[in-house]
Amino acid sequence: MAGSALRRLMAEYKQLTLNPPEGIVAGPISEDNFFEWEALIAGPDGTCFEGGVFPAKLIFPPDYPLSPPKMKFTCEMFHPNIFSDGRVCISILHAPGDDPMNYELSSERWSPVQSVEKILLSVVSMLAEPNDESGANVDAAIMWREQREEFNKIAKRIVRKTLGLPS
Amino acid sequence: MDENTQSDANNDELILQQQRQIEKEISETTPLVSDKQTISTLNSEYNDDAVYCSKVKNLAEKYISLRKTRPDGNCFFRAFAYGYLEYLVKNKDDYEKFRDLVQKAKDKLVKQGFPELTLEDFHDTFMDVIDRVAPSENNEENLQELHKLFNEQGYSDYIVVFLRLMTSGQLQEEADFFFNFIEGDCTIQEFCHQEVEPMYKESDHIHIIAICKALNANVRVEYMDRADGDKVMAHDFPEVNKPNVFLLYRPGHYDILYPK
Repeated sequence: MAGSALRRLMAEYKQLTLNPPEGIVAGPISEDNFFEWEALIAGPDGTCFEGGVFPAKLIFPPDYPLSPPKMKFTCEMFHPNIFSDGRVCISILHAPGDDPMNYELSSERWSPVQSVEKILLSVVSMLAEPNDESGANVDAAIMWREQREEFNKIAKRIVRKTLGLPS
Repeated sequence: MDENTQSDANNDELILQQQRQIEKEISETTPLVSDKQTISTLNSEYNDDAVYCSKVKNLAEKYISLRKTRPDGNCFFRAFAYGYLEYLVKNKDDYEKFRDLVQKAKDKLVKQGFPELTLEDFHDTFMDVIDRVAPSENNEENLQELHKLFNEQGYSDYIVVFLRLMTSGQLQEEADFFFNFIEGDCTIQEFCHQEVEPMYKESDHIHIIAICKALNANVRVEYMDRADGDKVMAHDFPEVNKPNVFLLYRPGHYDILYPK
């Protein structure tokens, strides 16, 4: 079982290294353990997260890809779909039926043919277009909806922080 | 506000944990596919329930034994694959046609838009299983190998995933036809992403019709529930052909049957 998960993770790592999607770097933290990855995600251009580089961890279950990995940002984040402890809450990280946020029927779900690349691309879209219907961080969701200027200011500060610049 | 969300999230985590625990207990006590058992063993599940007992009796008139499958939401696909491969191992001509069809299925699915990178492992494992049980002089050994592979989680689950993908491919290929059979306002593609491709999602008639069509299989399902009457009800998919796979359906679950 773990054998096939490992084979699959190695294949995905190779693919991501040979053809990295724009603004995304990802791979195992150590070659000894393919079940823990680090990813660096560039804030999408033209959004309030532009210019930032956001580190995150991905933890894969032993039965990957039958079950999805978990993903958590390791830097400070303020976003409607990210819990205050950094956990990412989007539909592709959940199989149908495992429904903490009552995702829409049409939303992309986890299945064994999805991939790390698909997850990371979904996270980039999530940064660009938060889903304020399913709030993992309700404060962020309300601010995104009602006080966009304030939200953008916080985002700018977090961007500077990820770059190690004074806020 | 934030605290509430946090505790809701923790509740969700707890519910999930409990669910995992139940699943773990089931997996430790039930094999993925059991050895053959006599039909009368079903009686012990129903004690003195008159309706069920008379239906078990009726079932025993037509079938000699059954294999139980683990109730994990994959039971239809696992039972179907086991039953169909058992038939194919004993029928060389059909086996050859089937092998050829599955061999070509990967390119077909890739053309339909399934990502090759993530499809490959499932297809390779399925081909590996088919080759390891190829019909030969000593079929008894092949059938033992089949039973062993279906009880190794790694092989068994990859077989299920591949059949789910073939089912999805068939449904999408004939989306105009199958669209009439789904409820709610989702597209066939959405239905496949939600109800077919993910593991542990239960199967319905539409899954059975699609996989039978994709693999040229003929399945007879014997329905046993609390409905009136003292007989089990048989339904064939598709209706015109002689069945080569026999399944028992009890609400929410499929097992494998062996006719007399």
